Amino acid sequence: MNHQRIRIWDLPTRLFHWTLVISVIAAIVTGKAGGNLMDWHGRIGILIVGLVAFRIVWGLLGSTYARFAQFLPTPAKINAYLRGELHTEGHNPLGALSVFALLAILLVQSVSGLVSNDDISFYGPLYDIAGRELSNKLTGIHHQLSNVLIALVALHVVAVLFYVVHKKQDLVKPMITGWKESAKGESARGGGIVAVLVALVVAGAAVYGASGAWITPPPPPPPVETPNW
Amino acid sequence: MNKKLVIALLAATIAGTAGAQVKPEDAIKFRQSGYGFMAWNMQRIKANVEGKFDKDEVVKAANAIQAIANSGMGALYLPGTDKGKGWETTRAKPAIWTEKEKLGKAAVAFNKEANEMAKVAATGDAAAVKEQLGKLGSTCKGCHDDFKIKD
Repeated sequence: MNHQRIRIWDLPTRLFHWTLVISVIAAIVTGKAGGNLMDWHGRIGILIVGLVAFRIVWGLLGSTYARFAQFLPTPAKINAYLRGELHTEGHNPLGALSVFALLAILLVQSVSGLVSNDDISFYGPLYDIAGRELSNKLTGIHHQLSNVLIALVALHVVAVLFYVVHKKQDLVKPMITGWKESAKGESARGGGIVAVLVALVVAGAAVYGASGAWITPPPPPPPVETPNW
Repeated sequence: MNKKLVIALLAATIAGTAGAQVKPEDAIKFRQSGYGFMAWNMQRIKANVEGKFDKDEVVKAANAIQAIANSGMGALYLPGTDKGKGWETTRAKPAIWTEKEKLGKAAVAFNKEANEMAKVAATGDAAAVKEQLGKLGSTCKGCHDDFKIKD
């Protein structure tokens, strides 16, 4: 057992990952439960918009192994990996596919949720700019996609367990501590304070946009006399 | 009176009564109206729970929902009305007619919570109203999840 180790997952990436885990679980539970939990479902959805926005920026500006360019899966890489001819420190090509799939589905899911309605009393924060017909369509997509998301998350968990138990590659500990045992790998570099601030600003802007706080409410109608029967 | 006239009048009356059954297009309209009206009242209660609580408003809204819930809307689900257009194209699923027992359970649950909402509204307890609103909304969802087409 070699005791050489490298920095692999930076703190922002790890914080993002585990916050996302809690958020997605909470979103699924509150969404399926409905009732008074719908308000929480909506808030968590806006949070997920921010988290995904953060990750996308971080994928461009973050440290070595967080950058999308570092683990972009090409057919050639996937084949090489499956043949056992490719060794990676960060996300391997299959893991990379799941990262992009999960981010894509979370993006569509959270954005569609922003304009969704539940026919009862919940309206997403951006419902007004979509209107009823579009909202109904996107609500339908939101419902159907939720099952795809659950399946993908389950697959992700099973895959990680497979690597840990069968391939004896501990994937969980590095995502907690940020350290990976590696004989010849290089520690992550980059992703400093400036990158963090830029990512946070973009994430903040995404949350603000998602919240609908920017939609100027129509001026309150002058109090009208309605029949009192 | 002329015997033939009496028979003719009788026939016309029977035919007229038969025609008084709700037409499919109207059935869809009426039930869509019912649900839409209930949605207004759900939102009214929600607004009172989240903003300034006006007991009378909540009582009116809860009573309206209770009345519609207990009005026997099942009668508007005529066979074949999973297709057609009322105010808008119906989103009723065929399962309504094939899974009657499951639907019955959901309908009973809805009625129960609607009746409870009217009771709670009468007390004027805002916190209790909020809790009951959540339960009531869940029963709306209980039907929608299985019996309403998601676009």
